[in-house]
Amino acid sequence: MVGRRFRFESRHPTEFVDITDRLREEVQRAGLRTGRVHLQSLHTTLGLAINENEPLLLRDFESLLERLAPVGAGYQHDDFTRRFDIAVDEPENGHAHCRQLLLTGFATLLVEDGELVLGRWQSVFAVELDGPRQRQLAIQLDGDFSPPRSLGRSAPPAKRAQPGGDLVELELSRQLLVDPEPVAAPMRRLVEAGGKRLRPTLVQLTAGVGPRTEPLRAAALAAAVELLHNATLIHDDYVDESTHRRGQPTVAAAEGPERAVAVGDYYFAKATRLIAEIGNRSVTSTIAEALEAICTSQIDDVALRGAFPGDHNSYLRVVRGKTAALFAAACASGALLSEASPEIVDTLRRYGDLVGVAFQMADDMVDFSPSSGKPVGLDIRQRVLSLPLIYAAEDREVGPEVRRLLAGALGDAEVGRVAELVTSSGALERVKGEAQALVDAAVRELETIELDGLRPILISLARSAVDRTA
Amino acid sequence: MSAVNVVTRELERLESLWEDGLSDAYRSYLEAVGHFEIDDQPRLALAAALIEVGLRLQGLGGRAAAAPTLLMGDLCLARSSRLLADAAPQAVQVAFARAIEEMSSAAASERSAPLTRDLLLRAFEAR
Repeated sequence: MVGRRFRFESRHPTEFVDITDRLREEVQRAGLRTGRVHLQSLHTTLGLAINENEPLLLRDFESLLERLAPVGAGYQHDDFTRRFDIAVDEPENGHAHCRQLLLTGFATLLVEDGELVLGRWQSVFAVELDGPRQRQLAIQLDGDFSPPRSLGRSAPPAKRAQPGGDLVELELSRQLLVDPEPVAAPMRRLVEAGGKRLRPTLVQLTAGVGPRTEPLRAAALAAAVELLHNATLIHDDYVDESTHRRGQPTVAAAEGPERAVAVGDYYFAKATRLIAEIGNRSVTSTIAEALEAICTSQIDDVALRGAFPGDHNSYLRVVRGKTAALFAAACASGALLSEASPEIVDTLRRYGDLVGVAFQMADDMVDFSPSSGKPVGLDIRQRVLSLPLIYAAEDREVGPEVRRLLAGALGDAEVGRVAELVTSSGALERVKGEAQALVDAAVRELETIELDGLRPILISLARSAVDRTA
Repeated sequence: MSAVNVVTRELERLESLWEDGLSDAYRSYLEAVGHFEIDDQPRLALAAALIEVGLRLQGLGGRAAAAPTLLMGDLCLARSSRLLADAAPQAVQVAFARAIEEMSSAAASERSAPLTRDLLLRAFEAR
């Protein structure tokens, strides 16, 4: 059994602090494979809850607590003339104690296969009821442990989800080891910073559907696809003037645009070479076509910033090329490598396309989530095509103000106001519903073909692609 | 399909480059692809020309291009990659990729690289 104290600082009188990722880290750090995580609040005005991290819903909860136990509603606890041993800084917080009574002070979460067992929309919250304050939770983990993994270089969730994922990580490390340091160092920084590895995972999974299964060739293709993806990101970051990616400085910001151009080109070429060396012409063509679609859409994306925030059709056209093309190509190329039938290849290509678009929609929503770990409104500031913004701009109520703000200079105040308007307009729910519908369509595609036990994994991967709290 | 038709079709969104050095480069490379199947020759020559022009547009080895120009250069490289996938033997595809690796590695190391055209002409000889 492992015991820990989890400390944090709340910032508001009432606040839902999402601690899901911290708990995942604790599980990973401890190496807990199968067992339980017990949580206990060490305060009488701090509760625990498991629910959906959706900003408007959290406001609803806050309103509910206020209605049930309003501040200053004549609590006897706040009548200091009738109490003994009162601290000098004792606050009037009868409402907070009463609210805590409505919640819970402890929780147990299950762990299976090294992961917290949580539903798609479930997040774990420490609920501050009398903040801002320094807070502590007691945590105990018990069950079956394996040797702890290093957090810094651990494999990302998508990769861990399926066997053979370690081969891709080994192949990536091996390829970066032999490259000249001026190009390898920036790419290594990007690769080791994490990323979801969804594209290589799709390659590896789909490389198992046909009659010819060769894990090493699949890993080589998967690693090349990941390198290609990262090469495009390096150029994207320069184009978007982004300073950070995955918590690390971008190549353009850290080493200058000239280096970014060179590193992007190097890994574009290296990835295409690695794919050519596999010796399957259909695979080479599939990836090359995707790369062309990515570049064409990038040009469209930048051009559309003149008409920011754009419209739904333009958005879909750009996203299909910029994001979904490589998802689709990853699925199709893995299947082609395994010599799957044309029907399976085409079905998996459509699955990848739908998941790719849904993934981008979910990614757009992250820009409006205060708990994402990224600054809220970065896409707004950089005038990046974003579906929630498009929907908010079309909204009858908030649309005129959104469009007026987007047409002008975007300082902190304007970005904050646009984010508020998007959140209040219902645009996020609309995008979430649309992404979910695409995932459902992707899942339906899989029902038409024989996948030899792979279907549940691909369904799970599709769902996780839009569940950005997972 | 005639060479003119092939080139016209493959220049979609890159038409403006034709008069900006792409046509000259194409003609130079066309002289070096005589040993390939006749139908493949225009695509291979165009692939090489697109790499040469694309790298120049990006500013590889010099001052980085502004964003829109960089993206145009990226599209040149991507189009070239697809043309090679369609028309080049595996050894030539690998040799072209290695040529770009060599040039971009030199640029990242801030050392001079061999001339692009020399490298690409040599790549056509790969077996």
